[in-house]
Amino acid sequence: MAAPQATAVATLAQPNWVRLGILFGLLSTLSIALFAPIGVSTTYPRVVGALLDKLMPGFEHASPYLSQLGGAMKGETFLVVGLLVGAFVAARLGRSRVSEVELVHANETGVSRRYLNAFLGGFLLLFGARLAGGCTSGHVISGISQLSLSGFVFAAGVFATGIVTAKLLKGGR
Amino acid sequence: MDLLYGLLVGMAMGTLLQRVGASSPRMITRNLRLENLSIIKFMALTIAVGSVGSYLLQLFLPMHFVIKPLYLGVLAGGLLFGVGFAVAGYCPGTCVVGAAEGRKDAWFTVAGGLLGALVFTLVYPAVEAGLIRPWNLGKVTLADWLHLPPLLVALLLASLLVTVVWRLPTVSQVKP
Repeated sequence: MAAPQATAVATLAQPNWVRLGILFGLLSTLSIALFAPIGVSTTYPRVVGALLDKLMPGFEHASPYLSQLGGAMKGETFLVVGLLVGAFVAARLGRSRVSEVELVHANETGVSRRYLNAFLGGFLLLFGARLAGGCTSGHVISGISQLSLSGFVFAAGVFATGIVTAKLLKGGR
Repeated sequence: MDLLYGLLVGMAMGTLLQRVGASSPRMITRNLRLENLSIIKFMALTIAVGSVGSYLLQLFLPMHFVIKPLYLGVLAGGLLFGVGFAVAGYCPGTCVVGAAEGRKDAWFTVAGGLLGALVFTLVYPAVEAGLIRPWNLGKVTLADWLHLPPLLVALLLASLLVTVVWRLPTVSQVKP
């Protein structure tokens, strides 16, 4: 447990985030020039709507929220498909091995507790993002880059509870 | 054409997030506990370059800016999101990246996210009345608010972010 953890820190602590951060900033600029600012979270309700519409035809149209988002054939939906492809290829070509599961909080004594936390966290993430109208990409990265006040307010909220929660969940790890 | 642009931007973004380690829940929780600031610094640099880049390009090109409105739910949603971010160790984009690179727990975050989006869709009418319509200040930027040219504000913001990134240690020296 201790050895791979130490290696992970050593590789991740290298300041390659400087180069990657500059590249991501250029990508975010390019995205706004090409079609729209980078954003991920709207794709979740669009996918849910498209799936439920297959089971219950008319679901998308009847929902006041989904009908205002429009269908799933959007650049943003394909951005999420691109995330899957890009990350899959990058991980295969990379030298460092990705661990299947990392235990991160004190209450995660086993894998099933990690899965439960991952699921509950995911629920809060998307409920919160949809309530706010964006997530880390749409509000924080793209929002603040466009100097949007809503991006600053969202980021302040995220880091306020994010930091407190992460510190509270920390145990001996 | 937008679909192709989306796919290509997504592929590049997936590569960058995978390589910087943003899809590791251990890395995210370390950042939120302020023990290692590499991902927060990565985001700050992204914003610094993105803000100057997009307002500079605006002088030469038509840009597809999308300013989101500010209302009560932006803060409430951010507070909920922060708890989810810490508990999961993922955000809505990095769980997709994590799932693609072989992290099993990332699929649980994706599934929880789909359920969260479904529940939000179902309760939307009540939420709209209580949290989206109140205190709606509209689509305002910092530049509108300060009555300054956006490129100038972008340059000021970028210099502030770069200074902070430069000054703060990335890995905390104090043993917590």
